[in-house]
Amino acid sequence: MMPLAAPLLAATSMALLQNALIVGAILFALGLVGILTRRNLIVMFLSAELMLQGISVSLVAWSRHHGDWGGQVLVIFVLTVAACEAAVALVFVLQAFARTGRLDAAAWQALREAILVRSVDRELPPSDAAAASWPRLTPAGVLPERTADTPLEREHV
Amino acid sequence: MPPLSPATLLVLVPLLPLVGAILTILLGRVLGSRAHLPAIAGIAAAAGAAVMLLLATANQVGSPHGSHQEPIRPVEMISTLWQWATVDEAYTPAADSAAAIPGTAVSRQPSDARSFSIPVALRLDPLTATMLTIITCVGLLVAIYSVGYMHDDPGYPRFFALVSMFVFSMAMLVAASNFLIVYVFWEAVGACSYLLIGFWFRKPEAARAAKKAFLVNRVGDFGLAIATFLLWMTYGTLDFHDTLSPDGTILPGILGQTRLADAAGIVGGVVGTAICLLLLLAACGKSAQLPLHVWLPDAMEGPTPASALIHAATMVTAGIYLITRCAPLFVACPGALSAVSIVGGTTALVAALIATVQNDLKRVLAYSTISQLGYMFASLGTGTMLGFTAAIFHLVTHAFFKALLFMGAGSVMHAMGGVIDMRRFGGLRRVMPITAATFLIGSLALAGVAPFAGFFSKDEILATLHSRGWPDAHSEHHDAAASPAVAAAVRQASVPVLFAAHSQTASQPLSTLDTPATFRTLFWMALVTAGLTAFYTFRAVFMTFTGPTRVPEEAGHHAHESPPVMTLPLVILAVPSALAGWWLFSTNWLAHFLSATPSLTAPSVAKTAAPHVFHMDLAIQGSLAAAIGIVIAAIGHLGRRSDAPQMERFLGPLQTVFANKFYFDQLYSALVVRPLEALAMVAALIDRYVIDGLVNGVATIPVVLGGIVRRLQSGLVQRYALAGVMGVLMIVLALAWQLRG
Repeated sequence: MMPLAAPLLAATSMALLQNALIVGAILFALGLVGILTRRNLIVMFLSAELMLQGISVSLVAWSRHHGDWGGQVLVIFVLTVAACEAAVALVFVLQAFARTGRLDAAAWQALREAILVRSVDRELPPSDAAAASWPRLTPAGVLPERTADTPLEREHV
Repeated sequence: MPPLSPATLLVLVPLLPLVGAILTILLGRVLGSRAHLPAIAGIAAAAGAAVMLLLATANQVGSPHGSHQEPIRPVEMISTLWQWATVDEAYTPAADSAAAIPGTAVSRQPSDARSFSIPVALRLDPLTATMLTIITCVGLLVAIYSVGYMHDDPGYPRFFALVSMFVFSMAMLVAASNFLIVYVFWEAVGACSYLLIGFWFRKPEAARAAKKAFLVNRVGDFGLAIATFLLWMTYGTLDFHDTLSPDGTILPGILGQTRLADAAGIVGGVVGTAICLLLLLAACGKSAQLPLHVWLPDAMEGPTPASALIHAATMVTAGIYLITRCAPLFVACPGALSAVSIVGGTTALVAALIATVQNDLKRVLAYSTISQLGYMFASLGTGTMLGFTAAIFHLVTHAFFKALLFMGAGSVMHAMGGVIDMRRFGGLRRVMPITAATFLIGSLALAGVAPFAGFFSKDEILATLHSRGWPDAHSEHHDAAASPAVAAAVRQASVPVLFAAHSQTASQPLSTLDTPATFRTLFWMALVTAGLTAFYTFRAVFMTFTGPTRVPEEAGHHAHESPPVMTLPLVILAVPSALAGWWLFSTNWLAHFLSATPSLTAPSVAKTAAPHVFHMDLAIQGSLAAAIGIVIAAIGHLGRRSDAPQMERFLGPLQTVFANKFYFDQLYSALVVRPLEALAMVAALIDRYVIDGLVNGVATIPVVLGGIVRRLQSGLVQRYALAGVMGVLMIVLALAWQLRG
């Protein structure tokens, strides 16, 4: 970086920071609104990711502004953790769907305290999730040696 | 085997039954129906040791036919095993108390400071040797009898462990040489008694009777505890015996020879009387005297051998033993001594009256025991040498014939399948001849028919009461030891007394009781009691053994003579019941032997010794009373069906009073039991509503708080998220507020 270009660079850098922060804040706010208003589990999950990425953008912006790699390193970590978290969260979502046949978060409001009344905004048609058969993943790899009394698959995960 | 020294034997007498008890407890399940072996072996060996001790002591005392002129030397041997508790400087007088205590001739000196120590010491003297022999010999016979009586009982090993434990405790009680050790074993025999009364604890009556016995005894035990405290405060020691301190001086014990040789050594006055009355209370509890007699009849719920051993022959005589042991203390307080006599005489009469209308054979014997113990108390209360020896004489003969009668009753009960109501059986002399014959011998002894044992001991008691009631008629028997010169001479010596009024200067409370008129009344009461005793004894004999043979259906195939293991002890006990009185009286052996007991060699007791004479006039009066009683019983019951209501017709309304035992139980129920139950109910209510309310109130706090907070758990994820966002917002706002300026 040349010394002459320093003031210009500083001005551009500030503008760049502001822009990036605004983008990050918009992403975060969108995610927040999404997670508070949407009931679809996958959309809620996506909204959470959106909030995460909004933070990541601002981290990168600050990192660049200060000329410090720490923020960007943190973003790499966030991405890694988010990938893992996505795997785990999707399992939960899948399991929840397998149980209720819905992706609606409100389908789980039976977990409320017994004294509270159920909050209903719109009555949904009854689900036949228990009767429906959902596709299972096919086993991959070599079929293990099995005897008569070791089941191929576990009954419950 | 080398001959065992008396000290070793003295330790063995209590130790062997203890070992027997422990072995029975440990091996009871293994031994099963042979569980009696360790207990019987232990008690038998102890009985052997006790007899050897008795002979050794008798050898030291010497023959009664020696010279009557020289005074009898006290015979005592102390064997200190170990020091149980030692507290240095347990009593330190305040610095300003060196001056004389106002109104007394005693001052507290700084040198009076002393340590408290409890030596576990066993003593051997004629009184202890006599008691040990009775306890172990009767205990042995009862244990052998129990082999038959208790067979097939599920608690067989437990019974023998308890009997053995009782013999140990009782032996320690009479061999201990310290008031605190006496107290410990006083409680121990009470505990054994409780466990044996409640032996069949699944039976509600037995459990209730055990509780009653224990609680009533607590009243007496309380007296002994307070008496022990007072004795320590007064004498600065609890030992009976003198001890040699390391620096060579003699520390006089309460009943040691140093103190007894000194007329001023024993405290009279208010403190002395208080001690004696508290000891009397203790004796009343253990020996079932009025007003604490109510537990003994109920104690008959226990197994009959336990009744024979504990509630007839041995434990109930602990009170007699205690008062005899403390004879010098009582003699120094004539008022308390008279109280002993009055309690005893009244108890004898009241219990005999109750016994006349009882229909339960064991309860007749129980009231008879109370009555005979009353005789002994009346005799003790005369405070003369003859009074004390006569009481122990009666104790010895009574132990034999009352154990015999109880075991006879047990034999009847065994054969009748547990039925003990005399109205439901009769004519059993044909069914069980050995029991009938031995029971008759015991009854003759109890009724005081010459020449059976009770006649002589009862005659001595009547004689001692007579000598106090009509002192002039007996005055020629008194020797010169009571002359003022002798008394003044012994008064010179001084033995430390820490805290008390001087015995000669202080007033003697209750001394108005100590008049010939009191003893005259007691003599007539005793004579009437003698007649009543003969009546109720033979009423029981006639109802049980004469008339047409009747057997209750509960008896089943049991209605036959008891096995030899039960009849053998009866036959053995019948011999002393018939002969011991005559032998001991004619040779004067027991009285002479006992007079060498240190407590009875105190000048105040020894001076009352009278020559050994047979009072023909009293014997005739006593026999006449007994004969009248037997004749009335014969008129009422001989040859009749035992369920015929003779007594009801004869006594009329009095029968109701006697049958209700003079309403003692009702009185105590109203005065003690009901108020205490009411108090317990109040306490229960306080516990339920105040204490529990407090605890439950504390427990409702989290419930209430949780009730508020639980409304937040709606099950709607969005609300949780909103709450989180709100929280973050609040933190951000708070931070902004802080950073604002």
